[in-house]
Amino acid sequence: MEIIVLAALTISVVVTTCGVFVKTTRQLIRLLAIQAAVIGLVELMFCLVNLLMGLGFEGLIDFFATFAEWFSSAVVSPLIIYWGMIKTENVNSQPIVSVKRGGIILVAIIVSNIVLCIFTSSLLPANIESLPFVSIMFSLSVLITATRTDPLAILVGLNMAENSFYPIFAESPLVLIPFMLALMVFVNLVGIFIIIEAYRDYGTMSIRKWRWAD
Amino acid sequence: MYSLLPLFSLIIPLSMGILHILLHPFWFLEPFFKKIGKIALLSGTGLTLITSLSMVPYVLDSEIRVLEVPQLSLYVDLRNIAGIVTVALIFFLTSIYNVKAEKEGRLKPTMYNFFLLLFLCCMLGLLLSHDLFGIYLFVELTVGVSVVLVAHNPSKLSTEAAFKYLIITAISALFVLLGTLIVFILAGNSDLFAIMNTPDIQTRLVENPHFLMLAVACFIVGLGADIGLVPFHGWLPDVFPGSTITINGFFCAEPIALILALYNLVYPFYVIYPSPVIIALMVGLGLISMLSGALLAYPQKNFYRMLAYCSIDEFGHSIFALGLLTSSISFVAGQYYLMNSALMKTGMILSLGSVFFTSGTGETELLGGLLGKMNKTALSYVICALSLTGVPPLGGFYAKLLLYNAAYEFLLPLGGIAGAVLILLLLVSISMISFIFLIRSFHRIFMGETTEKLETAKEVHITMWLPTVVLAAVAILFGLQPNILLSLIGVP
Repeated sequence: MEIIVLAALTISVVVTTCGVFVKTTRQLIRLLAIQAAVIGLVELMFCLVNLLMGLGFEGLIDFFATFAEWFSSAVVSPLIIYWGMIKTENVNSQPIVSVKRGGIILVAIIVSNIVLCIFTSSLLPANIESLPFVSIMFSLSVLITATRTDPLAILVGLNMAENSFYPIFAESPLVLIPFMLALMVFVNLVGIFIIIEAYRDYGTMSIRKWRWAD
Repeated sequence: MYSLLPLFSLIIPLSMGILHILLHPFWFLEPFFKKIGKIALLSGTGLTLITSLSMVPYVLDSEIRVLEVPQLSLYVDLRNIAGIVTVALIFFLTSIYNVKAEKEGRLKPTMYNFFLLLFLCCMLGLLLSHDLFGIYLFVELTVGVSVVLVAHNPSKLSTEAAFKYLIITAISALFVLLGTLIVFILAGNSDLFAIMNTPDIQTRLVENPHFLMLAVACFIVGLGADIGLVPFHGWLPDVFPGSTITINGFFCAEPIALILALYNLVYPFYVIYPSPVIIALMVGLGLISMLSGALLAYPQKNFYRMLAYCSIDEFGHSIFALGLLTSSISFVAGQYYLMNSALMKTGMILSLGSVFFTSGTGETELLGGLLGKMNKTALSYVICALSLTGVPPLGGFYAKLLLYNAAYEFLLPLGGIAGAVLILLLLVSISMISFIFLIRSFHRIFMGETTEKLETAKEVHITMWLPTVVLAAVAILFGLQPNILLSLIGVP
């Protein structure tokens, strides 16, 4: 793995880790944008270099597809969620686990993934060697989703989980990228639609109070 | 044979849906659209049903057998034609039901029709596509659209259910994506037929068995959560009471597409790398789902929650049968079971929808004595329920018989006669539990004395009872002539 890719993936893991502990929805949305920007930047730079080196039309298409993918995950999705926050409220809430417990779970996730990585390193094909990073980021994003009561924070966690697949997602055929982007935007819009409607129904941004059965 | 019919079956609902959304900005047309909206939906689903049925003679013709659009990896043959026709039929019948049953919800009529027709298009796409990325896109879109449709119900119940559904299924879609990407990276191709028939690709896959198994596990977990199999079923018991009565009818078609998509994703890799772990995963999930579904449905007092758990039980049966990959009749048994249970469940859900429409409650304890007032609805419900539990001479009897045959054939070489009989006894016991809670629900809802609140209750409009009577007639028809459905199902 090249050193720049390794650095980008490490920064993304650190940003995702910060997401476990931040308090407000606004901060979490910012972290989502940073995570997506960093994780996609390396691929974008590679495409830009290829374009500048004169690979022609194919390079241009490749660059625009990668740029669209990067822009969608780093700008469009966070903006959609931000719009949802404006329509509802910027919740200032702690994760449902304490900082100490969160830290223990975090360390457990990272250590178990590193152990798994050591055991599987010889099995990994060259083009999915970033899988251990994907696995760590995905686990941390699921942790964010599982430890929040604010629906927007849960949606941010979901987007972070989706972004964590970016390194292997880059291997998918170019023709699919517009469909994938449209889907990503669609899922976020659906999520925001439901959250706004639920906020109108229940008057709160805590999913613990969305208990119709009570 | 190269044919555009598979493509047309996707384009018809999609183009009609887009036509609806184009009308959405013209607010002054809204009163007019309110009058014709339901008929427009009915014509969209009707045209799709006609297109689906028009493919049947070609598929049954021994000289043609396959209709394909290879550029888009769309294929129709005996593996999926029964599913396509059943999905289109459920949509058509529920659209008839929709005419009187649908009241205004969160979505405007144009958007409501757009999402329903898109939902139909996605499910047909899921059945037709044999491309890994195509399947992933259709799975995610199907789930996204169904979340919107759950949220359509204006009651408070729907938003919580829709949000739970969105989160669980969005995470599960990531598993499907991971599996898809792993296979694509290893194989260098995303067409399932190419993967199955190219020795070079097969060699590359077999050289990486751990990753192949990881991909298959991702498919099973991802689609298992979308289907609602135990232990990923958390969203299902909330979605049924949270959706409108019509949407619940449309949802009955969803498992056909998702379960057959799961089979399409698992079977090729079992052929390439026949690991018993794949069978264990499928059969294990199926068994746990049917057992948990039946046991959890038993104590339910709300009939929608009862049907939700009953659905988990039925999904478990289908996955169990389809997962017996070494048995020669597992595919036929699994698919027959799936089609029959989807149709019967539609009949039951629409009948109970009519009860909800009349009484305004889903609590069985508040109901009773509706047999005399809603005799057609009651008759349809009991016939569909009896068919679902496998009582002869209804269609469900053959579904159970085929399933038990497949299970016996699979288990005999593994556990001997004793082991096979033991598992068969377990399966029969699960069916008995289903029989008890379904008949009990009929007794509570339709028999006994009428409560004061239901004194004025009367049979629903013909557009609401007719689809349920048709489905009850299908149960009898499949019982007397099971070959009608069996002739549409072929071994892969």
